[in-house]
Amino acid sequence: MSARKPAPIPDTPLFDRAGSHRGYELNKMAMSLVSAANREAFAADEEAYLDRYKLSPEQRAAVLARDWQGMIRLGGNIFYILKISALDPMPVTAIGAAQVGMDHEDFLVERLGKERRNG
Amino acid sequence: MAELIGGCGTSHVPSIGIALDRGLQDTPDWKPFFDGYIPAKEWIAEQKPDIAVVIFNDHGNAFFLDRVPTLALGVAEDYQIIDEGWGKRDIPPFKGAADFSWHLADAMVEGHFDPLICREIELDHGIQVPMELFFGRPEAWPVKIVPIFVNTVQYPIPTPQRMWELGQLLRRAIESWPGDERIVVFGTGGLTHQLQGARAGFMNRDADKAWLAEIGPNPEKYRDWTREQFVETFGSEGAELIMWLVMRGAMDADVRTVMSHYYAPASMTGAGMVVLENEVHATEEAA
Repeated sequence: MSARKPAPIPDTPLFDRAGSHRGYELNKMAMSLVSAANREAFAADEEAYLDRYKLSPEQRAAVLARDWQGMIRLGGNIFYILKISALDPMPVTAIGAAQVGMDHEDFLVERLGKERRNG
Repeated sequence: MAELIGGCGTSHVPSIGIALDRGLQDTPDWKPFFDGYIPAKEWIAEQKPDIAVVIFNDHGNAFFLDRVPTLALGVAEDYQIIDEGWGKRDIPPFKGAADFSWHLADAMVEGHFDPLICREIELDHGIQVPMELFFGRPEAWPVKIVPIFVNTVQYPIPTPQRMWELGQLLRRAIESWPGDERIVVFGTGGLTHQLQGARAGFMNRDADKAWLAEIGPNPEKYRDWTREQFVETFGSEGAELIMWLVMRGAMDADVRTVMSHYYAPASMTGAGMVVLENEVHATEEAA
């Protein structure tokens, strides 16, 4: 027996059982960064810090590369992986643009309806 | 019995808090947004509530994915500010209305809602930002709070119908409370935003404005929607709007929309606010 599955909405991943399972270790690592001591350890030696968690090789590479699109695809949930962005500050709109594969300025204008800044 | 003085809906976008921390309220990007809340601050200062019941979602701060309560209720005397990864924000901790919270816990369980009951828990921007928007930055908050946490992060999230029924139960709990406190209910979250996937940055200004116009006079329309309709219309994270239905379900069938405000985008989100009063309450005030 399984619960009914909602009809998919195009380009809109819902963070359900599959995503939660796929991304669990990645999100767990990201969640750990709410501790200042862990943020320091991450900043001091990122590779060693990631060794503490059972990330897949793809997840590990995505974190090291700050590949936001990849992190989401590999089960990362935005609310957790945002904590990685706190370490090298990056606006959430830039993370959004990266997921869509758009230039940040184009994303602000075309998706969010802001005025273009550079002519 | 306690008195329900009104229902407020508001966005709780984290960048609003950051803008306040950095003193950006008067910059061109933010001034129209914050100016729209001036009447809301005036309204709540006049109304002088004693207790704010705030329905919101934790954003992966107090709860990780190891345990995800569909509903949780704070019953603490004090709530500290949580570190979301950027350090703790410098705003005052919250005082809890613990007596009313325990009364609500009884009412919820007797009414077949079964929340996780939280004696010690820290609070994130989901509750901080609405409080700052309505009360500014006081030395100490002028109201005690009752936080109701709703899971909107991991599916399955609760249904809109269930949120409405929780609001109806909340109303009965307010009316069966022997105290004489003045209570305001906040539904928070939304409006349109999608932070994940190739549809990230989805904006639906028309739907946002319709929501603000209709949540007072025509809420049944949204109560009867599916969760998927919320996601499709307001974006994957915009489905947080189901939490406004708790607030709306707590109010009378007939309400007056005292004010509303819309600004988009705040960061990646359509930001909106509404203040509702029960028609009876509004009439008494006028008399």
